Amino acid sequence: MNIRESELPGIGYKFEIITKNQDKLVIVIHDDGRREIYHFDTDDHEEVLSSVTFNDSESRQIAGILGGMTYKPKALETVDFAFDDIIIEWYQVEPNAPAVNKTIGEIDIRNNFGVNIIAIKKKNTQKSHNPGPDTVIEAGDTLVVSGGRQQIKELIKKLLST
Amino acid sequence: MDHLVFEVGTALVLVAIGAIIANKLKFSIIPFLIILGMIVGPHAPTIGIFDFTFIESNEIIQFLGRIGVLFLLFYLGLEFSVGKLAKSGKNIVVGGSVYVAINFILGLLYGFISGMPWMETLIIAGLLSVSSSAIVAKVLVDLKRTANPETELILGIILFDDIFLALFLTTMSGVLLASSTSFLGIFTSVLISVGYMFMFFVIARKGAPLLNKWLNIKSDEIFIIVIFAILFFVAGFSETLHVAEAIGALLLGLVFSETEHRDRIEHLVVPFRDFFGAVFFFSFGLSIDPATLADAIWLALGAALLTIIGNFVAGMIAGRKANLSHKASTSIGLTIMARGEFSIIVANLGITAGLSPILTPFTALYVLILAIVGPLMAKESKNIYMFLNKFFKWSKDKEKRKIEVP
Repeated sequence: MNIRESELPGIGYKFEIITKNQDKLVIVIHDDGRREIYHFDTDDHEEVLSSVTFNDSESRQIAGILGGMTYKPKALETVDFAFDDIIIEWYQVEPNAPAVNKTIGEIDIRNNFGVNIIAIKKKNTQKSHNPGPDTVIEAGDTLVVSGGRQQIKELIKKLLST
Repeated sequence: MDHLVFEVGTALVLVAIGAIIANKLKFSIIPFLIILGMIVGPHAPTIGIFDFTFIESNEIIQFLGRIGVLFLLFYLGLEFSVGKLAKSGKNIVVGGSVYVAINFILGLLYGFISGMPWMETLIIAGLLSVSSSAIVAKVLVDLKRTANPETELILGIILFDDIFLALFLTTMSGVLLASSTSFLGIFTSVLISVGYMFMFFVIARKGAPLLNKWLNIKSDEIFIIVIFAILFFVAGFSETLHVAEAIGALLLGLVFSETEHRDRIEHLVVPFRDFFGAVFFFSFGLSIDPATLADAIWLALGAALLTIIGNFVAGMIAGRKANLSHKASTSIGLTIMARGEFSIIVANLGITAGLSPILTPFTALYVLILAIVGPLMAKESKNIYMFLNKFFKWSKDKEKRKIEVP
């Protein structure tokens, strides 16, 4: 993999990455904390195919996911990883907790607690799900959540435990 | 009754509305605020308690705008460090020189052909040569061009252009603000401004350790007071040496850019630059009598056309010299042609020195045209490239690739 760094005065910093199979990615870190990833055409390294923009905290979470930091050893129930103020934590929903049998959209966790649910491992199927607002939280599910330590604590106290 | 605060408040509300609309339309706020200032101003009617003529508050609005210039140039000084340019590489130096030379020479020729006196010609050449860092950076971010291969070169040329601006303003303020008209008098005056600038370079190089120690102030409150005090004092003091106050601010920024407090100062100055800068564009608009625009329209259109052609050619040369493709090179010239804050500052210097009053409407129209056309050209650079490619045959049309479906 080939990485080239350069400064963009007045804008930020730029990393050009060309992978082994000639995929070209450019990551731009803006001075205001925004990050952008651009994906270029494999055959024409001047043609942008798509781009995404993340804010600072999103970038940290995605960095964690890409870096494999969110992989959770099966034996452990709660493990957390800290990126500055944001932590990622696993929590098994207790039976009779207030959130049981409610959808994620119903509780509106993001707005009420400032916490994101990154993944859900269902108790009955043992499969990981990419949660959406319609996903129902059931007793015994393991939630992977990210947010501030205090906010996660509050979420667990109010909704996930009995 | 004294309505001063209310008048200034009304002006700021207008500025805020202009800024919001510009942002909604994804446009630079600079042309919006100038037009806004032109619409209101001494020629506008007074509606009830709302006085849009801003006569009573004119002086204070102009003063706030003047502060805006100080912050704009102080920030510019902070941004470009000598070290940055030294390591920027051959492509940028070559590209930047080509860019400045082409535009400046075209400006000189244009001034002579249109029969301007030579001081006005120099000012026109200067304001034709400096692109707007603010608009270009915004265009690159908005159009998501930051990842493109030509972006570094574009920003490098702008950095180079900014340094040219500093040198140009310093020399010109020596020429124009000289109290005497004899050659020797002007020569001494230029020598003083260049010497003054050199002094700041020496302070920047040698004085950094001492400044680091002095500016090591924990309290934000005291830090801001100290920085602003130095800024206004140095700017004002420069004026007494017949060096434009804006140059004083610029040179001071240059000195601070060499200290380890640069980031802290930059952080602190940005909100002030944005706020007072906006007032500056508005106050510039206020100073224009819409009736005089008609006299300058052809002159401004010609200059804008010349800039578009000159920028395209310069961008092409710079890009090809740096081994970029024709497509990327097209986008260089079309992106840096936007004109804005610095062109107005150059013109302002001429106006303060009492040059031909046509400079004001000329600059306003010229900046308006290119602040609007520039970003549009940048947006359409791909189509312009495709169109030109039909004539120049830079690259063959790519055949549509077939995707094998098993």
